[in-house]
Amino acid sequence: MRLADLQQQFQQRVLVRQGLIEPELRGSAAPDFDARLGAYVEGYRSRLIEALGATYPALKATLGEAQFGQSMRDYIESTPSRHYSVRYYGALINEQMAAAGDDRARMLADLARWEWLLAAVFDAPDDESLSVEALADVPPDAWASVTFQFRACVRQIDLNSNAVDYWRASKDLCEVPAGVEAAPTSHWLLWRRGVATLFRSVDPVEAIALEAARAGKSFGALCETLAVCVEETQVAMRAASLLRGWLTEELIAAYTLPDAR
Amino acid sequence: MTANLGFGLGLRPDHYEALLADRPALGFLEALTENYLIPGGKPLHYLDRIRALYPVVLHGVSLSIGATAPLNHDYLKALKALIARIEPEWISDHLCWTGVSGVNLHDLMPMPYTEEALAHLVPRIREVQEVLGRRILLENVSSYVGYTASEMTEWEFLTALSARADCLLLLDVNNVYVNSVNHKFDPDVFIRGVPAERVAQIHLAGHEVQDTFIIDTHDAPIADPVWALYRRTCARLGKVSTMIERDANIPALGELLAELDVVRHMAKIEAAA
Repeated sequence: MRLADLQQQFQQRVLVRQGLIEPELRGSAAPDFDARLGAYVEGYRSRLIEALGATYPALKATLGEAQFGQSMRDYIESTPSRHYSVRYYGALINEQMAAAGDDRARMLADLARWEWLLAAVFDAPDDESLSVEALADVPPDAWASVTFQFRACVRQIDLNSNAVDYWRASKDLCEVPAGVEAAPTSHWLLWRRGVATLFRSVDPVEAIALEAARAGKSFGALCETLAVCVEETQVAMRAASLLRGWLTEELIAAYTLPDAR
Repeated sequence: MTANLGFGLGLRPDHYEALLADRPALGFLEALTENYLIPGGKPLHYLDRIRALYPVVLHGVSLSIGATAPLNHDYLKALKALIARIEPEWISDHLCWTGVSGVNLHDLMPMPYTEEALAHLVPRIREVQEVLGRRILLENVSSYVGYTASEMTEWEFLTALSARADCLLLLDVNNVYVNSVNHKFDPDVFIRGVPAERVAQIHLAGHEVQDTFIIDTHDAPIADPVWALYRRTCARLGKVSTMIERDANIPALGELLAELDVVRHMAKIEAAA
């Protein structure tokens, strides 16, 4: 058998336990052959389950070792790894968790999305944050047109359950919740300061403003967005306050003036 | 030839803080390449700080040099960027394949020891060395099954490969022992069979004994037969950069440093002899 066919067949045996690889391997009649082949077939699954456990520790703690293992096995059977780094395996675990469709499934899916996002923030590119003082250079008449570039680590997520409570409980930061709760949408901001991953909840107004600013809307357009949900007399003050907060929290990397575009 | 860096350990996140705080006497640290092929954050932050204190070598698991799939140039590009950042003393990966058709099994799948495999591997190794601008080290892997198609022994294969591709070898003494049990050969014949001048680094590690074969787990201290084989390897190869790999059941740094002291002691005895 050609090398290419041999590798295809061996891989097929590992991935879906199908394909007659025995004639190509020595000792296939030996009593321990299944165990030896199992070192590859089962080893593949064990390694990926271990990697998923590292990416989703709170999901693992919430489900328990056995249920987590079974659920991850189901995922592995349907979804082979396609990246050179196992760090990027498991992006669709949230869909696997949501499949049952009930409140608990939605909480587990939220928890998976939350942990995947934490991983993305953890190793997002390193970049510098803009200081509040740097904005002193913005000419007053240019403020309406100025836009902001957020740091690469900044993420937002909306959740509809108490998944974050389960995450906190897995870190011994609070008691395990009494039960799964379907909750009104909560908005969360995640980012990194130095190597520390941070997060906080944001109110609906800030969530809208942040989304607009991250999408590249100008400060003027941001104010227009806020005008829909904030009293007109409060818009400028609220926008300025949000911007100062984002700068202080080291969320913004740079600003762009219209002439510089 | 590469420098002799002395005695080192695998760099593991569990030991970041202890390494920085205690700065133990280590010849080098071996970082797992894929753990640092990321955009930024804590792992690279620590790698930079540790690189400022110690020589670092990079050890990969996803080059998939033996796969019949095309070389992954995204991987090579990321590796090249990491090399530029860390300036490792050398880089290594495994003589294996890790997947075809876009799949990564995240395992070190064995190669058949055939002329066809050599003909496939040699230009790929040369291409990688050309892209990276340096010779690479390839490590002999543990295996649990062998191929009926194999036409030569593992050490004959390594010898032919390293000569034709002009690459270096990372000799994993634990893997030699594991394969000697799994495939019933004399490990000393293997050690005598590899080209000494191309062995630039040695790995030592623990393994797990099953009923009739051994699995390479890197989750335990070095086993007695591997210690013995290491001494005979030192006698044959002389001074070669040597390190302990531990990937699971990772103990406190002090415990690994104590185990590394035994490695140093054994190498010293053999050097004196």
